Amino acid sequence: MNIGILTWEFPPRIVGGIARHCNGLARALAHNGHDVHVVTLDFPGAPIYEEINGIKVYRASTELGHPNFLTWAFLFNHFLEKKLAGVSRKVDFDVVHVHDWLTGFAGISFKHQMQKPLVSTIHGTEIGRAQGLHNPDSLTIDGIEWWTTYEANKIIVTSASMKAEIQGHFRLPQEKIEIVPNGIDTKRYNASVDQSAVKGRYGVNPDEKLVLCVGRLVPQKGIEYLIRAVPRIAKRYPNSKFIVVGEGWLRGHLEYIARSTGYQWKITFTGWIPDRELIALLNSADALVVPSIYEPFGIVVLEGMAAGVPVVASDVGGLAEIVEHEHTGILAYSRSPESIAWAVDRVLSDPDHSKEMAQNAQEMVQKTYSWEAIAMKTAKAYKEVVR
Amino acid sequence: MPANLSDDSSVPFERTEEFRLLRMLHNIGATKPEKSLSIEEISEWTGTELSLIENELQELLEKGFIQSMDAEGVNKYHVTLSGMRKVLSMYS
Repeated sequence: MNIGILTWEFPPRIVGGIARHCNGLARALAHNGHDVHVVTLDFPGAPIYEEINGIKVYRASTELGHPNFLTWAFLFNHFLEKKLAGVSRKVDFDVVHVHDWLTGFAGISFKHQMQKPLVSTIHGTEIGRAQGLHNPDSLTIDGIEWWTTYEANKIIVTSASMKAEIQGHFRLPQEKIEIVPNGIDTKRYNASVDQSAVKGRYGVNPDEKLVLCVGRLVPQKGIEYLIRAVPRIAKRYPNSKFIVVGEGWLRGHLEYIARSTGYQWKITFTGWIPDRELIALLNSADALVVPSIYEPFGIVVLEGMAAGVPVVASDVGGLAEIVEHEHTGILAYSRSPESIAWAVDRVLSDPDHSKEMAQNAQEMVQKTYSWEAIAMKTAKAYKEVVR
Repeated sequence: MPANLSDDSSVPFERTEEFRLLRMLHNIGATKPEKSLSIEEISEWTGTELSLIENELQELLEKGFIQSMDAEGVNKYHVTLSGMRKVLSMYS
């Protein structure tokens, strides 16, 4: 099949999980013999066109901007659509696949112009991310999300909880929605590293317990609940240190909370770090904590499992579907520092059990979440709508 | 935002005027050297007084979210990679 993928983020433009998702999916589809064309936004240092891992990547330059976010999003959709139209003069696409509302308009226009089927993956919803629709922009984004799901011939979501959420919120027929989880390149994350050296780079001694948290610093990730759990954990494990990896607008607030606990000296905020450093940290940590309050999927859990680190996750959304409590990780109540502290203790206090859970998780990830398996499921969804 | 996030006096960076300016610079497209804007241009685009912008630009420069360059004797500003990631993290 000739497949067009529209996404506003694609490496090296990495914001959240969508870039990694699109990269993994596109690579696996190309590996399976499909002709895959990714149209995305430009990024400093990235070429306007490149072929990488069998994927043809086109980067659109946004020639017009506007201070208002929504207006800017509408404008870049025009430039994405224009780029896709240019590619379509050489490629007879069988299907166009958009990711989230941010590329919805370009995909919808293309569908009608070219009379091609549109597939849309909904990675998250505005109402979920913002925990409600609190302002005109949120209401508009919610409307665009609905419009994209309405126009799409097939909708893909990454978890059963997400399917239930959009089916109810957007009143969609259930047969229109396919569940295709996120995938992961397990080999990439299972790396051999000098743990002492990695810990040392972050001020953690070799004999100290490293509790890692990875995620954008935004409310939905629930990182404040882990920070509030630090005093309880630190009292039980005085030799523990906490590293929070990620960037986001909530950082100042989270640093404030860290100071308010009195244990800020145990907590390091790294900001954004390159993938190789993230993988090194995952392979050096004693526990990975994912304390989200809203999580349609939670790819970081797969990354941790692939790296072999015991996982603690809150029992919400996709996380509760990936983690089998006490078998592949520990589930904690969301928004509960007490429960998170208990769960971290469960991991740190019983290394043998934690090792067994990590091994179970590693096997499960390899079996269920390989990109090859995900690409086959996605291609099956494409075939259902290709005329 | 969950209720218990509002019970302290810290001001998240997202709520600051500097972040508002950073976001606007990003959305306008001042994300590479050749698209850098002078302080007068930024003032026009954002509808903000020059005197206010000066302080905010200085804050953003110190945080590494923007970079300044000399273009034929005029100081121009554009968003850095770190600044882009800061803005984009809010949108994802």
